[in-house]
Amino acid sequence: MDIEELKAKIMEWANKSTKPKFYFKDMGKAAPEVGLREIKKAVTALVQEQKLELWSSGSTSMYGVKGKGLTEEQQMGKHEE
Amino acid sequence: MAKFETPLLDDLEKGPWPSFVTDIKRQAKTKPELEDLLGQLELSYKDKETHWKHGGIVGVFGYGGGVIGRYSDMPEKFPGVAHFHTVRVNQPSGLYYSSAYLRQIMEMWERRGSGLTNMHGSTGDMVLLGTQTDQLEEIFWELTHDMNTDLGGSGGNLRTPSCCLGMSRCEYACIDAQNICHDMTQTYQDELHRPAFPYKFKIKVSGCPNDCVAAIARSDFAIIGTWRDDIRIDQAAVQGYVKGELTPNAGAHSGRDWGKFDIVKEVINLCPTKCMSWDGNALKIDNKECTRCMHCINVMPRALRPGVEKGCSILCGAKAPILEGQRLATLIVPFMKMEPPYDECKELLNKVLDWWMEHGKNRERIGELIGRVGMREFLKAAELKAIPQMVKEPRSNPYIFWEEADVPGGWERDLAAFRKKHPL
Amino acid sequence: MAYDPKNPMKDRITDIGPRHYEEFMPPVIKKNFGKWLYHEILEPGVLMHKAESGDEVYTVRVAAARLMSVELIRDALNIADKHCEGYIRWTTRNNIEFMVDNKSKLEPLKADLKANPMFPIGGTGAGVTNIVHTQGWVHCHTPAIDASGIVKAVMDDLFKHFQSMDLPAQVRIALACCLNMCGAVHCSDIAILGFHRKPPFVQHDLISSICELPLAIAACPTGAIKPATVDGKKSVSVNGPRCMFCGNCYTMCPAMPLMDAEGDCVVIMVGGKISNRISAPKFSKVVIPALPSTPPRWPETVAAIRNILEVYAKNANKYERLGEWAERIGWERFFEKCNLPFDVKTIDDYTLAYDTLRTTTQFKFS
Repeated sequence: MDIEELKAKIMEWANKSTKPKFYFKDMGKAAPEVGLREIKKAVTALVQEQKLELWSSGSTSMYGVKGKGLTEEQQMGKHEE
Repeated sequence: MAKFETPLLDDLEKGPWPSFVTDIKRQAKTKPELEDLLGQLELSYKDKETHWKHGGIVGVFGYGGGVIGRYSDMPEKFPGVAHFHTVRVNQPSGLYYSSAYLRQIMEMWERRGSGLTNMHGSTGDMVLLGTQTDQLEEIFWELTHDMNTDLGGSGGNLRTPSCCLGMSRCEYACIDAQNICHDMTQTYQDELHRPAFPYKFKIKVSGCPNDCVAAIARSDFAIIGTWRDDIRIDQAAVQGYVKGELTPNAGAHSGRDWGKFDIVKEVINLCPTKCMSWDGNALKIDNKECTRCMHCINVMPRALRPGVEKGCSILCGAKAPILEGQRLATLIVPFMKMEPPYDECKELLNKVLDWWMEHGKNRERIGELIGRVGMREFLKAAELKAIPQMVKEPRSNPYIFWEEADVPGGWERDLAAFRKKHPL
Repeated sequence: MAYDPKNPMKDRITDIGPRHYEEFMPPVIKKNFGKWLYHEILEPGVLMHKAESGDEVYTVRVAAARLMSVELIRDALNIADKHCEGYIRWTTRNNIEFMVDNKSKLEPLKADLKANPMFPIGGTGAGVTNIVHTQGWVHCHTPAIDASGIVKAVMDDLFKHFQSMDLPAQVRIALACCLNMCGAVHCSDIAILGFHRKPPFVQHDLISSICELPLAIAACPTGAIKPATVDGKKSVSVNGPRCMFCGNCYTMCPAMPLMDAEGDCVVIMVGGKISNRISAPKFSKVVIPALPSTPPRWPETVAAIRNILEVYAKNANKYERLGEWAERIGWERFFEKCNLPFDVKTIDDYTLAYDTLRTTTQFKFS
C-alpha cells in the first residue's frame, strides 16, 4: 500500500475512535493487511506532519490525534497558567 | 535567607553520608527554583505524600521518549517548580566522562534547567531533573548540535541499553560490553526514540557471569559474557594463595579475620558442580563439568582466568513483578561469539522483537508473553532449537499440545475404516 | 545557529545516539583495554588493576547521592582535572571513581577527596556499597515513600560498613518508592520498597473535565476501574479489593490520587542476588510486610535493616550472600534468628505463589 493511502487510513481510523489516545499496536487495526513496520513508517510521518502527537506515561507510550481530547493544561486543572 | 523553613530536611544534613539537602541548598543560592523544590519537598516530609503530577504530552518533537513531564500540585506556592520536567541523556557506555564534556552539559543545565541531576537513573541514563516546557527543544538542540549527544529512551520504546565497564578495566570481561552496548544503541535508534513496542524493552550487557549491570534481573534481552574452553590456571599463583602470599578474593574480605585461607573449604567445597580438586600440589578442574559461576576466579584472580574462547550467553525476559510476577531472564542461547558488527545477535533480536510486536498485548513484557504462550512458540519465532540448557528440568506434566505434523499419519482419518474395526 | 521555534525541523539533528565511550577513557585505560591481568582492593574504596603491559591503574571509589547538583559535579570534576587528567567515571551503583596511573598520585588524590565530606571513600568488597534507588518525593508522582531521604538515613546508620569490608559477602541494598520498581529491587540482598495501601480517590465533580475517562479505565492493570455516573456526571468507580495500588490511573488522571500518609508504608524484602556466583540469581522475599513511613529519618526502617544485617554478619559463612545464608538455615530459622514476626501476609498469594510453598515434611521446628 502506498504510504499516503496508509496515512489516510490511519487518520480515518484515529478520528473515528472514541478514545483520544491509543497504543501503537491498536493503530494496526487501521490497516490489518499491512505489517506493523509499515504502520510505524506512516505513523512517524504523521507525527512529523503534526497530525498525530505522542504521549508518554514514562513507562508506556500512546499516540493521539493532535487537537483531539483534553489538552495538558486542562488536565492539570485550574492551577495551570 | 532561605525562602522556606525546612526543619525536617535540615535533619538530613547531619550524619556521615553525603547529604543531598546540603547539596541542593548550596545550589539554590544560584538557582532560586531549588528553594521552591526544597519547600515542596519539606511539605512532602510533613504530609508524607508527594506533591507531583504527571504530564505525558511534553517531549521533543518527533520523539516518543526521553522526556518525562512533571508538574507541581501546588504551583502557586512553589512557582519555581510548577513545571519540573525530566530529560534523559543517553550515557556513554561504561559511564566514563571527560571533564570537558560534563562541564558542557552542566553549563547548559544550569542555564536551561534546575541545575539538579541524577548520576544516573536506574536504566542508566544521565537524568537532568527539572525544566520547563519551553526549554525542551532548546535543550535538545544544544545536546545534538553542540554536544553531539542524544536523548535516552522512555515509554514503550527500546530503553537506553546499558552495560558494565567491560574490558576497559576488568580482567573478567569475556566480551566487549561497551562496544556491544554502543553498537546496539546506534543500530536501534529508531526503536529507542519512536514507540512501536507493546511496552518497554531493555537490553543490558554484562562482561561476565558476575553480571554487574544486573542484566539477568532486569533486561528483556540480556547479553552476558562467558567462555567455553578451560579456565586458565597459574599453579604457582595457586600455591601463592595457599601459602598466604596472595590475598584471596582480591582483598574483598580483608576487614575481618577469617583465619588462614583454606583452598579446600573456600574454593573446592564451594564449587557448585564439585568439578575441582586439590591434592596439596596442584589445582585440577574438570572443565567440562564447570558451569562458570566465577567463584573460584573471584577468590583467586591472580591464579585463575576465564578461558580464551570467549563469547556470550543470551537470556531473555527478565522483569520486575509488575504485572504478572517477577521473572529472571531465561537462557535462550548458551554461547554466541560476539564480534562486530554482531550480526548474528541482531538477527536473533530482530526475530524476537518482531514476534513480540505482533503477539504481545499492550503493556505485556516479552517475558510475560513467553509465559502466556509458552517457550515453544517463542523458540519457533526465534528459530532456535530446543536444548536441555534452556530448562532447569523437563516438564513434569505430559500435556503437550501436539501438532498434526508431529503425529504419524496426521489427524485426517478414515471413519468408515475405523467403524469397520469398531462397530457402534 | 540556534533553535528556531517557528521552524522546528530546520537543521534538526536526530538519532545520533550517545557519545562514543572511547572519547572518555583515561589514557592508561585506553592503552590497556582488554589486557587486564588482575585486581586488588588495597584498602576499602581503593582498587589497583594490573595490566599485561605492567601498567597499573589505581581507582579511588567514593559515595555520591545519586541526586547531585551541577556544583557538586563540578567539585568532582575539579578533583578529576587536578589528579586524573580530566577523566572521571560513575559506577552502576551511583559511586564516583577517580583513576590515576601511578601509585605516587594516589595519596594526593585521596587527601583532596578526604577534605570534602561529600566524597567519602569506600564501597568495595564485602561491605555495603551505595544504594541504588528511585526518585521518591523529590520528583515522582506515584511514590509511596521518599527515596533520597531513606537512603541517607540508612547509609548514615550503615556508614561503617561502607568504609570497611567485614561482612561475609557484599550486601546490595536497593530502594524503590512504589511497586512499579523503577529501581528493580526484586533481586537485592536487602530491598526497601514503598507501598500504597489505599485505592485512589475519585474526584467525581472534576474527573470528566480534567481526565479522559476511557484512558483512566484502560490504565488499570487489574480491571478494577469501571465507568459510572455519579450525580448525573460521567465518572468512574474503583473496585477497592481489586486495586493493586500501582498508581497507573493517577498517571493518566490527576483526579484519581492514591497517596495517603497513613496508608503508605515501607516493605522490607531480603535475600535476592543477581550474580551467578556459587548459586543462581534469586528474587528478594518479603520479610516485613509493612513499616510506617516516618520522615525525616525512618527509624523503624533503619533499625529493621540494621538488625537483619547484624544477624547475617554474625551467622553467615564467608562468601555466603544473605539469601544463601537464609536458604541454608531455612527461612523459618531466618525469622527466628532475626526475631521477625511471621504473618499470613508474608505467604505469597499472587501469580507465582505455589512455587514458594513447602512441599516436603522436612522443616525445622521454631
